[in-house]
Amino acid sequence: MTGHLLEGKSLEWLLESATDAMIITDREGLIILANPPVERLFGYPRQELIGKPMEILLPERFRQAHGSQRMGYFTQPRARGMGTGMDLLGQRQDGSEFPVDVSLSPLKTEQGLLVMATIHDITRRRQAEEALRESDARMRAIFDTAVDGIVTIDEHGIIERFNPAAERMFGYSEAKVAGNNVSMLMPSPYREAHDGYLAHYLQTGEKKIIGIGREVVGLRKDGTTFPMDLAVGETRLGERRMFAGTVRDISERKRAEEQRALLVHELESANEELKNFAYVVSHDLKAPLRAIGSLADWLSADYADKFDAEGKEHMRLLVSRVRRMDSLIDGILLYSRVGRVKETALPVDLDRLVHEVIDLLAPSPNIAVTIENPLPTIVIEPTRIQQVFQNLLSNAIKYLDKPDGKIRVGCAAEGSEWKFSVADNGPGIEERHFERIFQLFQTLTPRDKVESTGVGLSLVKKIVEMYGGRVWVESSMGEGSTFFFTLPRTKTGIRSNKGKT
Amino acid sequence: MRFANQPILLVEDDEVDAMTVKRALKDLHVTNPLVLRENGEEALAYLRDPNNEKPCLILLDLNMPVMGGIEFLQVDKHDDTLKAIPVVVLTTSQEQQDKVASFNLGVAGYMAKPVAYQQFVEVMRTINAYWTISEIPQ
Repeated sequence: MTGHLLEGKSLEWLLESATDAMIITDREGLIILANPPVERLFGYPRQELIGKPMEILLPERFRQAHGSQRMGYFTQPRARGMGTGMDLLGQRQDGSEFPVDVSLSPLKTEQGLLVMATIHDITRRRQAEEALRESDARMRAIFDTAVDGIVTIDEHGIIERFNPAAERMFGYSEAKVAGNNVSMLMPSPYREAHDGYLAHYLQTGEKKIIGIGREVVGLRKDGTTFPMDLAVGETRLGERRMFAGTVRDISERKRAEEQRALLVHELESANEELKNFAYVVSHDLKAPLRAIGSLADWLSADYADKFDAEGKEHMRLLVSRVRRMDSLIDGILLYSRVGRVKETALPVDLDRLVHEVIDLLAPSPNIAVTIENPLPTIVIEPTRIQQVFQNLLSNAIKYLDKPDGKIRVGCAAEGSEWKFSVADNGPGIEERHFERIFQLFQTLTPRDKVESTGVGLSLVKKIVEMYGGRVWVESSMGEGSTFFFTLPRTKTGIRSNKGKT
Repeated sequence: MRFANQPILLVEDDEVDAMTVKRALKDLHVTNPLVLRENGEEALAYLRDPNNEKPCLILLDLNMPVMGGIEFLQVDKHDDTLKAIPVVVLTTSQEQQDKVASFNLGVAGYMAKPVAYQQFVEVMRTINAYWTISEIPQ
């Protein structure tokens, strides 16, 4: 039927209608016919091409070689499909070159053997191929130079790719592991379980590692194991699935972590020991001290008639030093108890607490203690905050040297903190002692003059700092001192109603 | 003491502390015989010996070798033949946990040993006065 339809249509008509560029040459390679797409492809007006050697469509440097190839073709002419030829280049009239694919069909005619060439511009394909090659090279570079090991497997767990980092990590070459089940890289019992995991995932879609990552154990070729971080990503390639595992040897990190844990443990136990040390030592010092105290007491009582005045005085001093040592030990006990013995933090109305402390200390009538502004209610261990105020106030009272003593307790909200102050008009403290007075057992007056253990301020400092506050003193000689301390204003710390005026 | 002829058992390892108790009782004219045992184990042995008269009061130190006071209480207060005997702890320990453990084990009192002898006498005076007034199961 088609024969009928096309009857009378010339070859030229066919070529004119074709969308592909086509030329027909004779044995000598002279162009007999070129269709319109040739014009568009090469930029030559068709008429100019007729009668020209077809090599005009090639870059200069290929022309000679092509001529001889063409001769060879005619000795054994056969159809040649697209894509079977070599990489060819075409040249436009303007001299620019472009890659082409050419199919050849011998045409037997009365005038002898002719050749029809169909020419495809494959610039785009080339570009796509180039882009693909480039992207491939880029991917390969990443794969080859990655610091982490990359292992890809198919849905049956069979290793497909194994990058150099993985080779170094496991001691296998890619060739050695490719085609094997990835479980070869895992020690028992993970090895036996892996196929099950994978099957379970494929069946249920429940992810244990995929997309999550976890710490697992790797097995090297030499049989040793190492801890590693494993992250698995899943990719679908058409119908197939591929899993890409990224592995990182974390032996170093593990070692560092273990070392750190060990160090922390050592520090903790050293700290614990230190905490208990003060308590145990002072506790054990008490028993013999008590014995000395008792024995001295009995000697004074039982041999009262045998001691002269000096002897009696010595016994009195002995007993008083026992008392002093006893209060020093009590001080250490008190000091070591802060932070070691925890009390429940409760809301404490400081207004009431400070009034109670003042009542307890019972200052002599020539000393006026005033609370300048309402004090807040804060959440804190009641005993501790009482110790702070009691020590600061008793110091202020104890050292007051004026006939008209004035002690003022104040509080101000400063940003996220409460700033408390206890001010006196006592003798004042020299600036060079500002640090020293907060150290344990440091006093500025001889103990025989003012009985003091030197524990009070260090206790205040320890308590305040335990709560994240600071303590300091401002003073001018002869005029008085002001002790300041801060405590964080926590959310639970509520200002007393009296404060809202 | 309510029963002047019944012994007081003092469990105390420190010689001078034992002397202190003995002297204080003498100063207070307490005539009960004082039985001294140096640790919890020896005290239990005394208490469980049927030949020994049961004490009317046990004065117990906490820090002792071999068997401490808390361990002693754990045995003593679970022994039906002994648990009715009042125990007063006499110790240096101000530790909260020692106090809690002692009272949980049913002690009748908890006294800190004062360093000054005269204060010690006052502590003993109070103990004596109390156990003179208080009934004691026989």
